[in-house]
Amino acid sequence: MARGVMLMSGGIDSPVALHYLLRQGHEMYAVHLDNRPFTDDSPLEKIVDHLRLLRERYAQAIPLYVLPHGPTQVTLMRSTDRHVGCVLCRRFMWRGAERIAERERATFLATGEALGQVASQTLSNMRSATASVQLPIVRPLIGFDKAEIEAVAKEIGTYGISTRPGVCCQAVPDKPATRTDLVQILREEERVDVEQILDDCVRRAVVM
Amino acid sequence: MPPPAYRALKLCSNGGGFEALPLDSKPIDLPRVRVALERAGVAVVDARVMLIASLEPETTISRSGRLLFKTADERAARRALERFLALLGSTGPEPPRPASRPT
Repeated sequence: MARGVMLMSGGIDSPVALHYLLRQGHEMYAVHLDNRPFTDDSPLEKIVDHLRLLRERYAQAIPLYVLPHGPTQVTLMRSTDRHVGCVLCRRFMWRGAERIAERERATFLATGEALGQVASQTLSNMRSATASVQLPIVRPLIGFDKAEIEAVAKEIGTYGISTRPGVCCQAVPDKPATRTDLVQILREEERVDVEQILDDCVRRAVVM
Repeated sequence: MPPPAYRALKLCSNGGGFEALPLDSKPIDLPRVRVALERAGVAVVDARVMLIASLEPETTISRSGRLLFKTADERAARRALERFLALLGSTGPEPPRPASRPT
């Protein structure tokens, strides 16, 4: 079995995706990009509770890396086109996860993405976002519909945690791009110092 | 700076905060709002297209004038709205509607 890094958001999907990978016997690490002050404390609290359940269920440590993402969002908002903000945000999330994977010698990244659920989860946006990393990306829920994911979440006990009240991400633009091309994204990204942002983010990571 | 007038507070869709929408859609001058808040000792994160102010509860101020108070406590949100408007010299929000419902 392989060692992987799972991106966790606090939503319904990521703990279900993690559940499937743990069930297959993979050794998993969790990474959360902490969006405060563009959200409240609730995503992190939910992830801590998700992991408590899954650690117990699968008798795995599942270390959680929390990376500060708010400063990255501020930089992106100040310097880049808001229209493509969600894709740029995702690119930095993937890069942060890949840095942790390198540190932990993990060989794949994973996410709870399913096609077509939210604006950032179109095929062109996924391609634009994931072109920022080299490691293979596993998406256990890619073909699931929402009802299927919710049914599993209820079965494993994470649904009630995921649906607790919380403030939505305030960094989401009014009209997020649903179709992006990589050339456009790379042009926008040239406006910021990618390596500096990542170095700052990973240096301030906290393990829980 | 003429401060915006606001509709009553309403619970946001995920139930984790209250939002206040301005009565008119004119954008607000975020740099001036930032100065007014900082003069009053309120810490502000300036993301250019929005401000995040430590108003207890923390409050997001969008360029459209929309405010989001990160609390599920309506009274705390109302206090923060009143403080925000007082700092900007506003006339205050409309009276609250009978019940707040998720949008």
